[in-house]
Amino acid sequence: MEAIVFFVSAAIILAGGLGVIVLRNPVHAALSLVATLFGVAVLFIDMEAYFLAAVQVIVYAGAIVVLFLFVIMLVGVDKAEDIYAEPIIKQRQFAALAAAGMLILVALVGVAFAGDVTGQPSNEDMTISRAIENPDGTTTPAETSNINQLAEALFTDYVFAFEITALLLTIAVVGAVVLARRPKGDLQPLPDVEPSWALRKPRAVTPTEATDPSAGDDADQDPDETTVDQAATDGAETDEAKA
Amino acid sequence: MEHLLWVIPAFPLVGFLTLMVAGRRMGEPMAGWFATSMVGGAFAATAAVFFGLLGRDTGERVYEFTLFEWLPSGEFSVSFGFLGDPLSIAMALFITGISTLIHLYAIGYMHGDPNFSKFFLYLNMFVFSMLMLVMGDNMLLTFLGWEGVGACSYFLISFWFGDEANASAGKKAFVTNRVGDFGFMLAMFLVFFTVGSLNYSDMFLSVMSPDGIAESTATAIVVLLFVGAAGKSAQFPLYLWLPDAMAGPTPVSALIHAATMVTSGVYLLTRMNPVIAESANWAPDMIAWIGLFTALFAATIAVAQNDIKKVLAYSTVSQLGFMFVAVGSGLYVAAIFHMITHAFFKALLFLGAGSVIHGMDDDQDMRHYGALSKAMPITAATFIVGWLAISGVPPFSGFWSKDEVLLAAYENNFVLWLLLLLAAIMTAFYMSRLVFMTFFGEARWSDGHDAEAVDGEIAAAEDADDDATVEAAAEAPSREYHPHESPWQMWVPLVALAGLAAVGGVLNLPFSHDTKLLEKWLEPILFGNEVHITASTGTKWLLAIFAIVGGVVGIGLAAAAYLRKRIDTKAIEAPILAQGWMYDKAVTDFMGGPGRRMFDAATWFDANIIDGAVKGTARITTTVGSRLRLAQTGLVRTYALGVVVGTVILVTYFVARMSF
Amino acid sequence: MLNILAQPPTDAIPTPDVAWSGLMPLLILSGGAVLLLTIVSLAKDFIPRWFTPIYTVLIGIATGVAAIPLWLRVTDTPSAADPNNGPFATLDSSFGVDGFSVFFTMLFAAVVVLVALLANDYLRREDIDGPEFYVLMMLSASGGIVMASANDLIVMFLGLEILSIAVYVMAAMHSRRIESQEAGMKYFVLGALSSAVFLYGIALTYGATGSTNLVEIREFLSNVILLNDALLLAGFALLLVGFGFKVAAVPFHSWTPDVYQGAPTPVVGFMASAVKAAAFAGMLRVFWLTFGSYRTDWQPVIYGLAIATLLVGSFVAIVQTDVKRMLAYSSISHAGYLLVGVQAATNEGTATVLFYLAAYAFMVIGSFTVITLATGPGDAKTSLTDIAGLARTRPVLGIALTVFLLGQAGVPFTSGFFAKFYVISAAADANSYGLAIVAMLAAVVAAFLYLRIMMAIWLDGDEVADPTELAAAKAGIPVPWGAAVVLVVTVGFTLVFGLWPEPMIEMARDAVPALAIG
Repeated sequence: MEAIVFFVSAAIILAGGLGVIVLRNPVHAALSLVATLFGVAVLFIDMEAYFLAAVQVIVYAGAIVVLFLFVIMLVGVDKAEDIYAEPIIKQRQFAALAAAGMLILVALVGVAFAGDVTGQPSNEDMTISRAIENPDGTTTPAETSNINQLAEALFTDYVFAFEITALLLTIAVVGAVVLARRPKGDLQPLPDVEPSWALRKPRAVTPTEATDPSAGDDADQDPDETTVDQAATDGAETDEAKA
Repeated sequence: MEHLLWVIPAFPLVGFLTLMVAGRRMGEPMAGWFATSMVGGAFAATAAVFFGLLGRDTGERVYEFTLFEWLPSGEFSVSFGFLGDPLSIAMALFITGISTLIHLYAIGYMHGDPNFSKFFLYLNMFVFSMLMLVMGDNMLLTFLGWEGVGACSYFLISFWFGDEANASAGKKAFVTNRVGDFGFMLAMFLVFFTVGSLNYSDMFLSVMSPDGIAESTATAIVVLLFVGAAGKSAQFPLYLWLPDAMAGPTPVSALIHAATMVTSGVYLLTRMNPVIAESANWAPDMIAWIGLFTALFAATIAVAQNDIKKVLAYSTVSQLGFMFVAVGSGLYVAAIFHMITHAFFKALLFLGAGSVIHGMDDDQDMRHYGALSKAMPITAATFIVGWLAISGVPPFSGFWSKDEVLLAAYENNFVLWLLLLLAAIMTAFYMSRLVFMTFFGEARWSDGHDAEAVDGEIAAAEDADDDATVEAAAEAPSREYHPHESPWQMWVPLVALAGLAAVGGVLNLPFSHDTKLLEKWLEPILFGNEVHITASTGTKWLLAIFAIVGGVVGIGLAAAAYLRKRIDTKAIEAPILAQGWMYDKAVTDFMGGPGRRMFDAATWFDANIIDGAVKGTARITTTVGSRLRLAQTGLVRTYALGVVVGTVILVTYFVARMSF
Repeated sequence: MLNILAQPPTDAIPTPDVAWSGLMPLLILSGGAVLLLTIVSLAKDFIPRWFTPIYTVLIGIATGVAAIPLWLRVTDTPSAADPNNGPFATLDSSFGVDGFSVFFTMLFAAVVVLVALLANDYLRREDIDGPEFYVLMMLSASGGIVMASANDLIVMFLGLEILSIAVYVMAAMHSRRIESQEAGMKYFVLGALSSAVFLYGIALTYGATGSTNLVEIREFLSNVILLNDALLLAGFALLLVGFGFKVAAVPFHSWTPDVYQGAPTPVVGFMASAVKAAAFAGMLRVFWLTFGSYRTDWQPVIYGLAIATLLVGSFVAIVQTDVKRMLAYSSISHAGYLLVGVQAATNEGTATVLFYLAAYAFMVIGSFTVITLATGPGDAKTSLTDIAGLARTRPVLGIALTVFLLGQAGVPFTSGFFAKFYVISAAADANSYGLAIVAMLAAVVAAFLYLRIMMAIWLDGDEVADPTELAAAKAGIPVPWGAAVVLVVTVGFTLVFGLWPEPMIEMARDAVPALAIG
């Protein structure tokens, strides 16, 4: 039974993950992310981590993805992006190759290890409430509260990790504000003054204007030019990787 | 007096720094005079130290001046100090002396160059580095100097780097020298890990102690050092860069690529003679045989060159081979002796060639010369002294030193001697060819450029010149050339060097032990590693006669071919020789094939990927304008792909190692 | 009321003890950042511009000072008088305080001080709002301290994220330059990928060893012989990818040139010094300290990474024409040298890495200070021709840059020489002769790169030699006091420890990591 649940939810997770990167409409992609997160929640239930499952659904599927959708709709990029443009020759093939390699390796590791993990399932040694001894000598596992277990882990072994997450959140808030805020005044390009100490004629400098993001219509991009440039990158990358 | 040791390198350093800051303000010719006076000061200081050491007993002629202990305690102790011993002072004397003369010469030669002060800046920097090389009291300082002279040589070769050939010659020198430097570094590393010190005196003490160093280690060090020396001193197969290096200004060729820098390999091996003494026998033999091969090989090439500086360049390579033969045979004194006399006469020859080139409007092709002795009497006279010296005609300096080297070869191996004698004969031959083609015979310079004369009038005028006698042509210069004697700044050094080249032999006359001044002087640094000559006096005389006869035969053959025209010169100047046995071409082809492709790939990577990435993103930036889009130019995907591929490789490796 | 609070409920979770003294530097730095944020948001209009940089410098100094008593404590051996001496850990063994972590704490404090001094003028010049920059930098450095002190993989990961996310934002902070935004975006996307891989590695390690705590992992690995080490080794691979990305090791280096070129120059200085240092701290803690018994498994990989990094870093750098890009490749090749030290997997190798990181941090901050000043508003003039002749118009800047370049090239009499020397000799001591030779070869090749920059600033730019133009050029680059202080300190550090490396290498030798239980 456990195995069946596992494989079904694993399939949902993988399908959702694929959907995020394959679907052309960002709204659809965001929704398939929900499928992935939901599948994870099912896995948590499968492992009897009910609290985590609930949090997973409420926080991720409920809050975060909804936020994503808000952004997608507000910014108005709810149209299909042309992700099939292939700016780099053979990039896809290489990517597919790399992905296949990764999969094979993970499978190999999995087969090799054959589920022989060292870590203990959570409800064996992290139990707080004692198991109940039945009158007939058998024991019923305690009604372990997920919340208690989580609390214990968070406030003992992982208390430091738990606390410094605060720093991470602070950074996230500050960073979001900094990046989202427009500088005061107009977005003037910086004055393109030639530094007087440059004794040579400097090369032509590309204007570094920041234009309005909503003006982004990319249909007129010249694919040929990028292809040349980036095909190069492609080959070089693999060369280095081989090295 | 010997306390002035640190002053020797300080002079050119001050010159270099001053020129760097104020060189442009000084301008021409102040910057040149200033640089010359700095090197002259260094020469004076060297002389003072020399006399100071001379006043001491033979055994005590070592003066170490430690500027500061770099790292006083700990495993790695290197002091920043100078070593004033017979070898380094002998080297410093001739380096500063010749440098002074060449600086003086360069004032005239570089007249009117837009980068006049920069040229002297490099020259002073070079002298400083060279002094560091010979005077450093440990291998690391020597290496610093070694790198410094390499860098200066590289800068100076491509000094006129508007010219594509010059720039690529500079690159060639750079790359070939890297190979040599790598050998030096490895040798240094090996010394440090086996001996534990880089300081020469400590190193030699521990090497010479009974169980100082294993034979195999010593051999490895010697071989690596030889790789370094072969790179710097242009031995086969790393000699390639030297002929090309002639693209630089002629004073540079004279100073760096004939007299001083290229001899630093010989200096290094001489300095390390205790290690050579500990190495397996085949190591010095290898040095001698490679030296011999280089000497012969380069001599054959020199025979067929038409560029006057190329002839001298191959001649330098060949003469360096002579020195390596002496080092390999264990006669270090002969090597140093030949190095010094060679510095005199080769600097003289180069400067003379520079004077000729100067007079001939920068034409370096000997086929356009002829009968210049009338137009340039001083140049011709001094050049002839240099020619007789290098050809081994007694009593000029080259005879004495070459005789010593031949004796060294004879002591080592009869075949070595025989082949080296052949190289000596060829030396006499190609040098005579050069002299005859340049200064004697008939003037070819009036009609030299017929093909280039597009204007009918010019051609007609030149035809008229053809009718004139040789003398008339010399007195009434053609429209193309105006051969003239050079200004005094140029011929004074020539005369001085001619004097040295003529009498330089007195440094080490072989008649008795008392006249072997150089040998006595160098004795303390050789630690008894100098091979003792076992040949009898009669044999020595016989060898000397052979050498003289060889020189005369060489000159005679050249005279027959180039003055009397008895021999068809086409047969001698075989195309394969003119092209340096195709070795250069083979290497270039290899570089042009697989090697070049690698280099092209790097350039292409730069041009297309790095630049393309920047420009590509910039272009998309301006046309598309969307910020988010920026991250999707494809490049991030590519980078991510790189990361993933790397991950796959790492995981693959670990999977391969797993035990299950 | 207090009584009630004081009485624990019967089934209360026993929370671990906290050794506050050990956390002091971290608390000062991160608390200082949060405090600054509070101050500037509450009293924005009353705060003069000089306040934030001065405040940051003071916080940085306070962090360093707070680390000194810790340093004295952890490098001492326990005695009867002071039984507490020696390395210790706190918070249920998740935060280790040893010579290693305190060394890095001091290094990060120094980096914060220097970059704050440098950034002050830069932010004013580029008209970027200041306080957030300083807040993010301090928080990022706290992340570095956490990484260097982490005794738990989860803590390590959080430290990595704190460090990185702040830097992503800083890289994208110059909102007027599209390149800066692009750099931040690229760094973020790729960084997120590598973090994910890293996290997967943690999961696999946990699966194999049953703990995320480094102490317990090491105990487990030394007590249990794994018949089947597949999961553990796969974990190694993925953890290495995470660290390799942060240190810019080939083949995980591809972001480096773009990000270095695009990000604001002071941020690049911070990235090259602090981020690299923190990543190496983490790598040493995890691989050398924790997985030390498996070193025969991971050493060859580091060996390969080191060779690839050295070669790519030195060779590709040669063909660059942009100074910031050149220094990016140079930073890649430095990562290669550091990997050489890591590969040795000895105490001496670890000490040499620490020495190298300290020497490099000062050199690279100094270099980027000069670049910041020389490249002008908008970081626009970064090509080699733009800085041609710099040294002749501004000799002081030129000499300073020359010192840093010589140092990075490993020329004697600079700290960079000893850094390279120690690392290479550590590799040779560990019998990795091949690696030592490749490292030397790379040094020879890379010297060319630095030579090119030096030639450009000293010798090029002859075309215009008009005296009036030169005079005007002299007024072109103001050197503000903050940058001047940075230059003096960094040049001083580079030269003093180039002449007398003894104290620094001794300190690095004392700073060898230890895993303590606490």
